[in-house]
Amino acid sequence: MAAEGEKEFYLRYYVGHKGKFGHEFLEFEFREDGKLRYANNSNYKNDTIIRKEVFLTPAVLKECKRIVSESEILKEDDNNWPEPDRVGKQELEIVMGNEHICFATSKIGSLVDVQSSNDPEGLRIFYYLVQDLKCLVFSLISLHFKIKPI
Amino acid sequence: MANIESEAIDFEPEEDDLMDEEVTAVDAADVSPRAGHPRLKSAIAGANGESAAQKKTKGRGFRDERDSDRQRRLSSRDFESLGSDGGHGPQRSIEGWIILVAGVHEEAQDDDLFNAFGDFGEIKNLHLNLDRRTGFVKGYALIEYEKKEDAQKAISAMNGAELLTQNVTVDWAFSSGPSSGGSHWRKNQRSGRSQRSRSPRRRY
Repeated sequence: MAAEGEKEFYLRYYVGHKGKFGHEFLEFEFREDGKLRYANNSNYKNDTIIRKEVFLTPAVLKECKRIVSESEILKEDDNNWPEPDRVGKQELEIVMGNEHICFATSKIGSLVDVQSSNDPEGLRIFYYLVQDLKCLVFSLISLHFKIKPI
Repeated sequence: MANIESEAIDFEPEEDDLMDEEVTAVDAADVSPRAGHPRLKSAIAGANGESAAQKKTKGRGFRDERDSDRQRRLSSRDFESLGSDGGHGPQRSIEGWIILVAGVHEEAQDDDLFNAFGDFGEIKNLHLNLDRRTGFVKGYALIEYEKKEDAQKAISAMNGAELLTQNVTVDWAFSSGPSSGGSHWRKNQRSGRSQRSRSPRRRY
């Protein structure tokens, strides 16, 4: 825990699907050097793609790492999670120290989907972590650029 | 699985709007963070064979070899950003200056933050985000001041101060360039695992 700031770090989250409006997705990534990238592509009616990037201070990156560490997501495994399907796909990739995870699963509509899965405990951790990360990213992006994400 | 892959192929052409050129001479600010970027593909290659991966990898995301798709989404270079000098100072946001307060007590309320941080200047925005599982405060707050001096005063006065029995850390949220921590890491990266650089070149 103490040396957390020294560890290698990368985080990327993707959620999206390919349908009649093309490839619609939301994706963001945090990089070790502080760069936060956010992309949101929706082809519904009019083409809108939003791509924003900004450098975060180490303080914000540290907070992001804390959220990840405390979730203990790295102890989980996506073996028994629902496979990505036609409805969509979520991906969470994290590099932290010498661990590198890249979990993929379907979209999760609500906790009902979590409960009915084969790994509710693990999937619940994923479900809440994703929401907490999105919440952080949306705050950062909306405060910095004054746009409303999604 | 198979149908997902074929689907990805189907839609591939539509993504050609993303930048598809090889990087030639790019400004250093754009190139340097890339150098330190974890090599997604190489991690996969490493797991498969020759260069023993130094990382424990886990997750079915690694089995999708077709992540050129993935790389291209964030590989575009036309991400918008607010103008910055590429230095190390704080970065102005579109309407003001944002600070991060970390170590916020889980039972803190908006008013606690307004009371503690309102003295330094008018707070234009406050985000006190909640933990989605517990409903308590997640532990951080983002505060916007219109004036840089006000934000600076808040940082100087409140960093390390006690708020609701906890010591908070207060700092700028945005930076005008990559952090030095990143470059330190890149140095290690370059010396430590040169064998990993054999994997396909990332395209930006």
